Amino acid sequence: MKKIYSIIILSAVFTLSSIYSCSDNLDINTDPLAATSADPNAVLPFVFGEYTARKVSELGTRICDVSQYISNTYNSPNRGAVSGTLSGNTWGVWYVGMLGNLSLVKADAAAAGSSSNNVNGIATALMANTFLELTALWEDVPFTEALDGVNFPQPKFDDQETVLNGVVDLCDEAMALIDSHNTDGEFQITPASDMYYGGDIAKWRIFANSLKLRALMMLRSGGANVDAKINETLDQPLMTSNDQTAYVNYVGTPGAQNAMLTIVTAFFGPDNESQNVFGPGDPIDELLSGSGDPRWDLWVARNDLDAPGNDIFPDPETSVLSNNIIRADLPDVLMSPDEIDLYKAELALAGFAKAGSADTNYRNGVRNSIKWWGQDIPGVLATVSDADIDAYVNGLAAPTANDIYNEQFLAAFNRPILAWNHVRRNKIPVLDPPPATSISTILKRFTYPPDEIGNNPNTPANKQTDVPMWFENL
Amino acid sequence: MKTKFSGILTLLLAFVVQLSFAQDKTISGTVLDDTGLPLPGTTVLVKGTSNGTSTDFDGNYSIQANTGDVLVYSFVGYSSKEVTVGGSNTINVTLVEDAEALEEVVVTALGIKKEQRQLAYGTSQVKAAELTRAREANITNSLQGKVTGVQITNSGGNLGGSSKVIIRGVSSLSGRNNPLWIVDGVMINDSQTVSGDANRITGNRDFANGASVINPDDVESINVLKGAAATALYGSRASAGAIVVTTKRGKEGAGPTVSINSSFRFDNLFRTPDYQQEYAGGTAGRFNAGWGADWGPRIAGQTEENLAITGATGPLTAVKDNGVGHYFQTGQTAINNFAISDGSEKYDYRLSVTNLDQQGVLPGAELDRITVSLNSGVRHSEKLESRFNVQYTKTKTRGTGASGANDPNIFSLSSFSSTVDPRNYIPWKDASGNQINKLSDNQGIESNNPYWLRYENSNNRDDDRVFGNFEITYKPWKDFAFTGRVGADMLDDRRLIENSKGTVGRLQGDFVSDEIRRFEVTSDFIANYNKNLSEDLNLNVVVGSQYNQRIFQRQTITGVNLLIPELFSPSNAAQVIAERDYAESRVIGLYGSAELDYKNFLTLTVTGRNDWSSTLPKDNNNYFYPSVGAAFVFTDAFNLESNWLSFGKLRASWAQVGNDTAPYQLDFRFLPEVTADGQYGLDLNFPMNGALAYRATTTIPPEGLRPEQQTSYEVGLEMKFFQGRLGFDFSYFNTRNEDQILNVPIPESTGFGFNTQNVGRVDNKGFEIALDAIPVQAGDFTWRTNINWSKVEQEVVSLTSGVERITIASGFSSVQVIAEPGKPFQLSAIPYLKDEATGRPIIDPSTGRRQAGAVQSFGSVLPDWTAGWVNNFSYKGFNLSATIDAKWGGVMKSSTVEDLQQQGLVTETLRNREGSFIDTAGVLDNGDGTFRENDVPVLNAEDFWANSLDGNGGNVSEPYIFDASFVKFRELAISYTFNNRQLGEGFLQGLTVGIEGRNLALLYSKVPHIDPEASLFGSGADGFGVERASVPSTRSVGFNVRLTF
Repeated sequence: MKKIYSIIILSAVFTLSSIYSCSDNLDINTDPLAATSADPNAVLPFVFGEYTARKVSELGTRICDVSQYISNTYNSPNRGAVSGTLSGNTWGVWYVGMLGNLSLVKADAAAAGSSSNNVNGIATALMANTFLELTALWEDVPFTEALDGVNFPQPKFDDQETVLNGVVDLCDEAMALIDSHNTDGEFQITPASDMYYGGDIAKWRIFANSLKLRALMMLRSGGANVDAKINETLDQPLMTSNDQTAYVNYVGTPGAQNAMLTIVTAFFGPDNESQNVFGPGDPIDELLSGSGDPRWDLWVARNDLDAPGNDIFPDPETSVLSNNIIRADLPDVLMSPDEIDLYKAELALAGFAKAGSADTNYRNGVRNSIKWWGQDIPGVLATVSDADIDAYVNGLAAPTANDIYNEQFLAAFNRPILAWNHVRRNKIPVLDPPPATSISTILKRFTYPPDEIGNNPNTPANKQTDVPMWFENL
Repeated sequence: MKTKFSGILTLLLAFVVQLSFAQDKTISGTVLDDTGLPLPGTTVLVKGTSNGTSTDFDGNYSIQANTGDVLVYSFVGYSSKEVTVGGSNTINVTLVEDAEALEEVVVTALGIKKEQRQLAYGTSQVKAAELTRAREANITNSLQGKVTGVQITNSGGNLGGSSKVIIRGVSSLSGRNNPLWIVDGVMINDSQTVSGDANRITGNRDFANGASVINPDDVESINVLKGAAATALYGSRASAGAIVVTTKRGKEGAGPTVSINSSFRFDNLFRTPDYQQEYAGGTAGRFNAGWGADWGPRIAGQTEENLAITGATGPLTAVKDNGVGHYFQTGQTAINNFAISDGSEKYDYRLSVTNLDQQGVLPGAELDRITVSLNSGVRHSEKLESRFNVQYTKTKTRGTGASGANDPNIFSLSSFSSTVDPRNYIPWKDASGNQINKLSDNQGIESNNPYWLRYENSNNRDDDRVFGNFEITYKPWKDFAFTGRVGADMLDDRRLIENSKGTVGRLQGDFVSDEIRRFEVTSDFIANYNKNLSEDLNLNVVVGSQYNQRIFQRQTITGVNLLIPELFSPSNAAQVIAERDYAESRVIGLYGSAELDYKNFLTLTVTGRNDWSSTLPKDNNNYFYPSVGAAFVFTDAFNLESNWLSFGKLRASWAQVGNDTAPYQLDFRFLPEVTADGQYGLDLNFPMNGALAYRATTTIPPEGLRPEQQTSYEVGLEMKFFQGRLGFDFSYFNTRNEDQILNVPIPESTGFGFNTQNVGRVDNKGFEIALDAIPVQAGDFTWRTNINWSKVEQEVVSLTSGVERITIASGFSSVQVIAEPGKPFQLSAIPYLKDEATGRPIIDPSTGRRQAGAVQSFGSVLPDWTAGWVNNFSYKGFNLSATIDAKWGGVMKSSTVEDLQQQGLVTETLRNREGSFIDTAGVLDNGDGTFRENDVPVLNAEDFWANSLDGNGGNVSEPYIFDASFVKFRELAISYTFNNRQLGEGFLQGLTVGIEGRNLALLYSKVPHIDPEASLFGSGADGFGVERASVPSTRSVGFNVRLTF
């Protein structure tokens, strides 16, 4: 009997000691390498970095021949087939990497109140741009029910007009937040974490208004009556000079260099001119060759030779994009004043009095573009003098609508989404589909990524990739 | 009734007899088995009387007997032994396992030995001889075809590659389908740490799974515990089954024994694609050696410029089999084991040293492994004994092949061309160390010299592994035993994967230095009470507690853009990315089991275990799971044994097992980020422009997470006939796995990619049949045969509301393994656009090409059934053993076949090589719902294979999805064992010589060109059914010598 007691006592002591130690022993489920909250100054750099990394390396190197500012590229959807990788990577980064994190920054800032209106405004403006790009790539995308997995686990898709109107509203919201920012005890934006403007909130306001105009131009093209809204933007400060340009600077060292060059150096050799990877597209050749436009010499090497041709890579017998352009420290530009000048020129021709003179705006746009490439761009290699710019700009004839559209196309050089938007909106320059295409026109849209199709039953059926979007108004 | 009555009568009689004839002395002693382990439950009987007893937990017994009596010691599965009582009061006995025994003893949960007849669940045992007959570098592969209900998939011919084991099908949606490995009672880590990206597509190197280091030479037996009832005591981690390994020990009485076992084998490609040699490299009928496809002109000895590699002008000639025979070398494997062992009443030990030295078929692939193990036990006193067991393994893996995509190091079967002679690639570098003899196309675009990739870019792994345990057993009183056991498993895994400067695709050079540590410690405290409650009733109670801790640590340094070639140091890299990873989890368990045995023919077992896990919410972190089982030997109960019926047993069990999740799933986390991912690996790094970056996790953390729950039941029937010459073991099992903890993919438009939830239910039900027979036993000749067959039907019963499919693994070009309600795991991919009525592809009228349809499922990736057939013939010293195994059903997608065909490399692409032709399989859409015969030609064969079959750029996978069934001649071993007379009186006690072969022939397969077993995903993922650029598998033949001194 004594034995039995001993056993019971022994077992009980052991069991109890195990259980008592359980709670402490098991309290280890906190990741030592992660934070449970994050400062917007730490999250915003991720958004800027993720956006530029994916935009330049994926869209920049893969759809640059869709709007044909580059003659040909690798794994392009230009013949009609959009791969699940291209579509899925972009969708995932835009919605999860950017919008997901921005909505957390925004929620955090909203909770902090007006002292965080500055960072809230930045996050809101960046969200507006992200939605604009999403609808520019897929047309109908989740907007009103997006980013709210609790209430809308399967967000519905909104039509393009709704999304673009939503972008306009977000721009208004961003400006209102900035206008009402409270300098007392204000959240301090670390200059390095705001990669566009170093925390300069006034520039963000100009950016938001300029972005609003970009969205309104697409709405107007689609047939929506947005004249009043356009006049609103014209009454507010818009981008006018290159120091307001929104861009991510690349220092040019490994891990911080423009992917247009990295793809050349990783896969081919030291530089683009020797490796013949990126060549000028036919419209670039047609618009600039022999025009006297200084951008011809800035952008194109061996430019006495013919362009490689539609869907063809350059070779030593053709012209090629210059090492001035395809370089490690080429910045990634989201928006610059030339675009705004040329919208204003377009609007002036269309009778918007507040836009001013079409001619002046047109010349300002061309001047700003050339000045950017020949003077203001960080790390400029070959420069163009003010005298040469003036000589060229002053010599331009008074613009027609097509002249403005062509300049919009040129001003969007190396900006894959904007250039594609312009050619779909303006239909100028007129682009021939690539020779071996399986669709009737140039590519008009991305197809929805397999993951969204699989996980969201509200995803619309994919349209043929030559079906125009609403904003093209075809 | 009559039987029951006679049983009671016997009981009474025994009682009376015991009372009536008091014996004159007490004999006591211990009964051990031939490995020195106690044999509890051995019957000790005074011959000719009904006076008997049985041994306790430690094999001890005492019995009253007279001098001159004969004591009979018997234990199922062992030869009985008779000893005459002499002057001594102590008689210790060693029973030897009886090869002809009808029943076996198996090691079950927590290292407890049990008679198979008492088990309420199905197990399969593989003995040492079967594992070492044709030894494998990865012990997992040795089980192929030998165990019922177990499916083993290796990932190809990579040296040091992984193998995946699936027991009774897959039931977890979250990838927890790998069984738990237990060595001498202690869990060891079988994880595979993925190299490259997590989905195994980019930069995939298939390094071995953790259990692969178990040395076949040191293994006494492997027991595969299949059902939850078998594994319930091991806890949640064994919900996918457990593989219990018992290592060899020194044996008492044999004196010091030295054994040497040496094998030498040669390995060759298992299967070579049917390459065509009629048409040259190029496109559109024009020669272009470096084009990467053989759509060039007919090879007729014509003179061409820019011949492959050399760039010379000369006659165009084809190279046999596209030169694979020149490129892949004959692999060599040498396995040498030396072991010394001894044992006595007081101690036993076995020390073993094994050296494995392999050269792969892939140039530059090498594997060197040294394993040292010690298993020693000391019997300190009657009451106290201890055992120490340790294995140290040092493995050096060089030149592991890359598979998947997006990696310049991939050089697969589709990288060979009819007009590229690989011999011209040698030499691959010049005196200055620059890559030379590259293949370049007519536009000057260069491809890497494969020898450069193999010899200049390292794919190295060095790992040190130590695992072992210390066990102490104290028996303070009769019938009681307390065991404490502490086991540890440590892995130090260093990997260096680098691209030398000058590698096309990584011209600037880069490297990834990966240092991985895994540490696992498990301690058990077990109390055991074993009591004969009466002569017929035995009770065995086990209670215990367990503590398990697992730590994973990883530090990865990526260096990009090297200054000095061949110097893979962070300080030599312009871009350095450093990453850390850490995960720790702990489980505390309390468990108990009670086993009541009546007359050795009816055994009832009840178990229960409660686990507390660190990974679950604190208020819901513990879960209890019970099991009950019964085994009933009806032939004994009803005295049914006859000349033809030897044994019959029914068994049934029911069990529930809970499961936890991975650590750190509960909190919303912001993770510091070092890279912003770009396409083609063109990543940016943080800090960027001076700013550090954090991102939110892409997974929404769960609310109110509950433990997973698996419920299963099993019934089985074992029968043996004709004194055991014929027998079968049949099982039916049914498993329901619900409340699975899963990162459910959600629409990314929510801003997140996943949501952790308890979701879904997956059911598995199936049959297993094992048939054993000795069809011929005549004189010295014996033919034994074993057929095992198992069928598992898996069904994903439900996911979660609103979720129609979950991706289990992602391949390429929209190829995915998915879970859809109502079906087993499916291969999902893009088919052709078809006329639904006839299933014929609809042709694009402008090009004559087929078109892509919408993603669909192509059927289960899991086999309908698997089977093995093992035959063993012995005649005197000769022994011949052969294993055939089969996997039937399921589909697979082969990207290697896709590439071989799209690139015009194989013979079927010779059809219609000249000129345009019409794809008569297709139809044209009349636009009114009707279709007509296709009359639009494709441009040529190149257009057909490269564009039309791809669905006109639509990533169609349909033509490359095959029935994955195969039958393989897996293993053949022929040996001769010299007998004592032949060996004479010298020091040599045993000598066996033999020849052995593995993966000898593919007897049936519908997959062209490649080994249908190939898999992209290693043991760590559930990506069955997808293959891409796998390292080709090998066939091995060799010889073996075994010596015992």
